[in-house]
Amino acid sequence: MVSGKVVGYVIGRIFQCLVVIFISTTVVFIIPRMATDMSPIESAISRAMAQGQYTDPRAVEQLRNTLEVAYGLEGTVFDQYIKFWGNILRGDLGPSFSSFPTPVMDLIRNSLPWTVGLLLVTTVLSWVIGNILGGIVGCNRNKRWAKGLEVTINALRPIPYYIMALLLLIVFSYILPLFPSGGAYPIGTVPRRDWSFFADVLKHAFLPGLSLLLVGIGGWFQGMRTLVSHIMGEDYVVYAKLANLNKKDVFSNYIMRNAMLPQITGLALQLGMIFSGTLITEIVFNYPGLGLLSYNAILRSDYNLIMGVTILSIVAVSFGTLIIDLIYPLLDPRIAY
Amino acid sequence: MKKVSCFLAILTVGLLIGTAALAQEEYMPGVSRNELIIIENPDGRATDPDNFNIWAPGSPSWSRGLQQISMDTLWYIDPDEGIEGDPWLNSLAEEPPIYNEDYTEMTVKLRQGIYWSDGVEFTADDVIFTVETLRAHPEMNWGPQFEIYVDEVYKTDDYTVVFKLKEPNSRMHSTFTVRWSGCYIMPKHVFENAEDPVSFKFNPPISLGPYVSESYDPAGYWNLWKRRDDWERTTLGKLYGEPGPKYVLYVGLSQERRILDQMKHELDIIHDLSPEAAISLIEKNPYAITWFEQFPWAHPDPTLIAILLNNEKYPYNIPEVRWALTLSLDVTEIALASYNGAATLSSIAVPPTGNHLTWYFEPLQSWLKDFSINVGGEEFHPYDDTIPFQLAERAKNQFGYDVPTDEDKIKQSLGYGWWKYAPDVAAKLLESQGFTKDSSGRWLLPDGEPWQIRIICEAEGRPIMTRGATKIAEQWKKFGIDAEIQGVSTAILWPNYLTPGNYDVAYAWNIETWGGHPDLSFFLRTWHSNFYRKSGDASAGSNYIRYQSEELDKIIENLLKIDFFDYEKTIALGQDFLKLMVEDMPEIPVMSYNVFTICDEYYWTGYPTSDNPYTNPVPNWANSKYMFPKLKPTGK
Repeated sequence: MVSGKVVGYVIGRIFQCLVVIFISTTVVFIIPRMATDMSPIESAISRAMAQGQYTDPRAVEQLRNTLEVAYGLEGTVFDQYIKFWGNILRGDLGPSFSSFPTPVMDLIRNSLPWTVGLLLVTTVLSWVIGNILGGIVGCNRNKRWAKGLEVTINALRPIPYYIMALLLLIVFSYILPLFPSGGAYPIGTVPRRDWSFFADVLKHAFLPGLSLLLVGIGGWFQGMRTLVSHIMGEDYVVYAKLANLNKKDVFSNYIMRNAMLPQITGLALQLGMIFSGTLITEIVFNYPGLGLLSYNAILRSDYNLIMGVTILSIVAVSFGTLIIDLIYPLLDPRIAY
Repeated sequence: MKKVSCFLAILTVGLLIGTAALAQEEYMPGVSRNELIIIENPDGRATDPDNFNIWAPGSPSWSRGLQQISMDTLWYIDPDEGIEGDPWLNSLAEEPPIYNEDYTEMTVKLRQGIYWSDGVEFTADDVIFTVETLRAHPEMNWGPQFEIYVDEVYKTDDYTVVFKLKEPNSRMHSTFTVRWSGCYIMPKHVFENAEDPVSFKFNPPISLGPYVSESYDPAGYWNLWKRRDDWERTTLGKLYGEPGPKYVLYVGLSQERRILDQMKHELDIIHDLSPEAAISLIEKNPYAITWFEQFPWAHPDPTLIAILLNNEKYPYNIPEVRWALTLSLDVTEIALASYNGAATLSSIAVPPTGNHLTWYFEPLQSWLKDFSINVGGEEFHPYDDTIPFQLAERAKNQFGYDVPTDEDKIKQSLGYGWWKYAPDVAAKLLESQGFTKDSSGRWLLPDGEPWQIRIICEAEGRPIMTRGATKIAEQWKKFGIDAEIQGVSTAILWPNYLTPGNYDVAYAWNIETWGGHPDLSFFLRTWHSNFYRKSGDASAGSNYIRYQSEELDKIIENLLKIDFFDYEKTIALGQDFLKLMVEDMPEIPVMSYNVFTICDEYYWTGYPTSDNPYTNPVPNWANSKYMFPKLKPTGK
């Protein structure tokens, strides 16, 4: 039987989540419009002029006026804001300015599966591997093999991601040509639903995935190792050991379970961040995703596309933390609503 | 038994070798490597890869083969010699434009026997439809141009189009003339069925060029094009023969991937590289082909890198100050910093490329040598034609490059000369304007305030610009000016700084010429004072430096009065402009934009070079299509 207090908490928490989304979306709407460096119309004109052709100044002036209407940027910022919410409630993020008039949703839909596929797997895997290794090393911190493992992971961690990615590319694609040098699938093929294509996708995702995994593990590992080292000195762990409880039970139920809580919160936030994409991975491995899409959107002052990608992240992070908050009592019996 | 084992062993080895050989030959299913050319698309990933509507306002990536080998238009001007020795190329038009006496009417005779890739014949209806559609949709590319210029467009027969113009315009044809690109012709029979030509995706694109889209990456990284079976019914095939490669793959890659892929012969043409990366690749890949066979290797684009001075802002509105800034620079240092010395210098306001050397650089040499400025009552001759030779020597000593020794080759590849490094003369010029120096040797403005210069330049997008600007700031600092650079993103440099005049000094470009034609009205028309816009308002065209003079107005007016093909008068007026720019020095020309395009001769041969300059090798230019009939397989 769910108590009224719990229902009240859940409703309050959902309301809080919606308020966060509303405020964050409003901020995302305002910031590009306040930035003096950003003008989608001037950016579009600049791109048109950069095509290396003579353009009559009167034609440029006319284009300026026409694009203002076409982009929906006429009227005050407040007018645009009201229109923006009207559209967004209908699930319409408007047209991309840099790929006008293609809808922003179409562009995001093209890139989203690749980003989510790659980052979801690598984020979860690096979280699992990092935490398990961190926990084991934390429990055995004085042993030689644990020290060796810690030194190895800490040596990999500070390597700049770009260098790591490039190194993997050169070693495993050029010196030892075991994996493809880029793309999400072989050149000349188009996505289809069969196992051989799926195998191609896995093969192409291996190097970008490995690069993300190698740099991702370090943070989780270090966090968990520190937490475990701290918990190892807690009275209840010392008492459990003195009571001669099963070592595995002490490790999993006394140490890891307590150490997991901040890591789970971290995972929820990290999962929300995957919707921002990973720019450098996409550049080095020619991997399609939201990172390059967002980067180009910023460079081209594409307000709608910037907002589309950012709103996706805002919603993901907000709902991720909401879900974690709601399931916390299941993870930690000390928390009750 | 032994014999059988031996036979099986030989068979296995043979099969393995055969499989390996076949695997090497086939680049992708059904496409052999020796019939495929792989070309870099510098645009990288297309954000909206399904969209091939090049006329739409947000049309993505033109350089993925779309404008080079699928589109076509009336005329092309090659920045180099042209495939048959004339840079002017009649493409869909059979002959140059025919104007009436007062330039209010342009008649175009179209080539017959040209077909779209779906078998429909190209006719005057396509040209008329293109103009009328774009005119009706001013948000589309080229739309506003037609709305302003064209009163009426009609045909007199299936191969003759007449443009009635709203006002005299002797350069109407330039909208349909490709330099980097131009207004391409739409297939009427396709677009007339589109509900909205703006949002129509034009997928698959129907080609007028010799290739058709075979497949493309839905994620946006590559496009594969196949040679049309009826290639001889396209202008390129009809006029210059069969394009060599059966397949063309345009692919977007990171700089590192480009180098690694070309080392493996998996990338035939690299669009551009940083000088160090390019030189390293040239040294390591024996099959690498560059524009110049030896130093400085790169292709000089018809684009002039310059120090842009905002002529509205004090003290850059004073000619003596502008000259002082020029004479306090050692240009060889800038060339060494930007391009490891592989730079083609220009002392005048046109890029030193193609026929500009014959039209402008060579004829102006004696005038430049005689030219003097008055410094404290004495005449000073600032021009120095030995500077390119000094640059060659310094590049040889500093980097160990094998530099040319032949005088003509040095002029052709490193430029004809530049301005003397004369800080003492520069100091006198500043003192004549009331500038003073403080006790630590720093220049003060006449009101006693320290003189500070912030040079706006491109940051991450184009390192050669950042490096050049840094060296300029360093030299001005050495001279006593408190100078620094401000690197900004390529995407905002033009719209946020140069166009609105939101700068004092910038290192960028505003002069782009046809290259293959002497008519400077291509960029100069917008410099007429009729179009002058003060800082704060968006500049008209490329007059970011806010320069105006009555003499310039007269030159522009006279240029527009003469026929486009009157080379003699065009060159004379062009030279007048260049002399005016030297006398006033409203901006400081530095060098051409050199592009390190590197071709790999492992699978294909016949690329354009300075010894055989039949077209521009830079593969994102639409006129790079003229390369295809010349490319031949090496047999590998």
